[in-house]
Amino acid sequence: MKENNKTLIVCHACDALQDVSHIPKGNIASCICCGIRLFKNTKSTIERPLALLIACSIFFVVANIYPVLQLTIAGIERETTLIETAIMFYSEGSPVLAVVVVLTSFVFPGFCVFSLLYVYMAIYFKKNWYFTRSLLVWSSQLLPWAMLDVYLLAILVAVVKLVSLASVILGIGFSAMVGFVIFYAACISSIEMHVLWTKLDENCCGTQYE
Amino acid sequence: MKTVVERSMNNKIIRAKNVGLASCHICDLVIELGDNDATCCPRCNSKIHYRKHNSINRAWALLISAFIMYIPANTEAIMVTGGLGQESADTIISGVIYFIATGDWPLALVIFSASVLLPLLKIISIAYLLIMVHRGNELRKKEKTRLYVIAELIGKWSMVDIFVVALLTSLIQLGELSYIVPGPAGLAFAIMVILTMFAAMAFDPKLLWDKSEEK
Repeated sequence: MKENNKTLIVCHACDALQDVSHIPKGNIASCICCGIRLFKNTKSTIERPLALLIACSIFFVVANIYPVLQLTIAGIERETTLIETAIMFYSEGSPVLAVVVVLTSFVFPGFCVFSLLYVYMAIYFKKNWYFTRSLLVWSSQLLPWAMLDVYLLAILVAVVKLVSLASVILGIGFSAMVGFVIFYAACISSIEMHVLWTKLDENCCGTQYE
Repeated sequence: MKTVVERSMNNKIIRAKNVGLASCHICDLVIELGDNDATCCPRCNSKIHYRKHNSINRAWALLISAFIMYIPANTEAIMVTGGLGQESADTIISGVIYFIATGDWPLALVIFSASVLLPLLKIISIAYLLIMVHRGNELRKKEKTRLYVIAELIGKWSMVDIFVVALLTSLIQLGELSYIVPGPAGLAFAIMVILTMFAAMAFDPKLLWDKSEEK
């Protein structure tokens, strides 16, 4: 009874119970009832997401250290990083909105990327590190609230609006953000939570549940 | 549990709830819930229910509040531009019209669809799904499920306008010469987007499939 637990999956959308043990590697399992994608049985379940996460975290750090935009308005030249824009918005604009912006464009994406990186490292090195489980729970809860990709679109819109007022040069931070968004998208599509949890269990001497 | 697996292998659809099973929505672990209504997941320690608790009531409450917030978000000014003693307030729609007038129609399309169309479509589609659950409508359940998945995915893109206002506010601060301040619609808009996201999370698509078994 206990062994069957992990090959069973319940569709999140329609509650159909199904056995996924026969899905070959590299194939996507769809729900037999509603056709929603259940998960992909990827060939490299750990290495690929881990590599993408490392790239993501590097891009994230670069995007936040280096200036995103260089503006010249009325002869005044300014360089701004993401953090500086947030601080400026806090003091000059609306503090409540600034908190929302900082959470969704900095705290949540950063938290998700680094905690997933930590979890994948723990699995890759077969170490039973602290907090892996709670970090995984938190990051999967916060993933829908990480909106750095939306922020990138907003930068593009803002740049088009600014072109008429100032001369704008896109900085290193902007390139890093583009890199982050591309790798982040690839990363999210390669992460399979249900496989990840199974691996985490194997890591802890194959814990079994009823 | 053995028999359950064999039956589902024969392509006969079994609902987990009918055989007393439920899966954790965080880690997908399938556990026997039996007569209990809720328990803690032994693997990730989050709550497991057969269905999300008070799903319909919570979704309605959040959806109606989101719709109420949608009105000031579109009628009030989202951005106040000022400089040299003059001040002009822009709503989302007037911003879009300005872009069309200056010929930036791709930009107008992005702003219009992300901040006017998408939230409205999302509110309408979740309201539609809720009404369908109330009436026990049986038709096109697959399409309805797909609609839910899409509505949940697109929600966050509405935030683009808030980010644009945040960026412009912080970048254009030249004292009396030129400044941009977020208008009252900014907060209403952000609250609206967050509420629609919570409403989508509160809705349980499994309810769309429940009625067929009871009849």
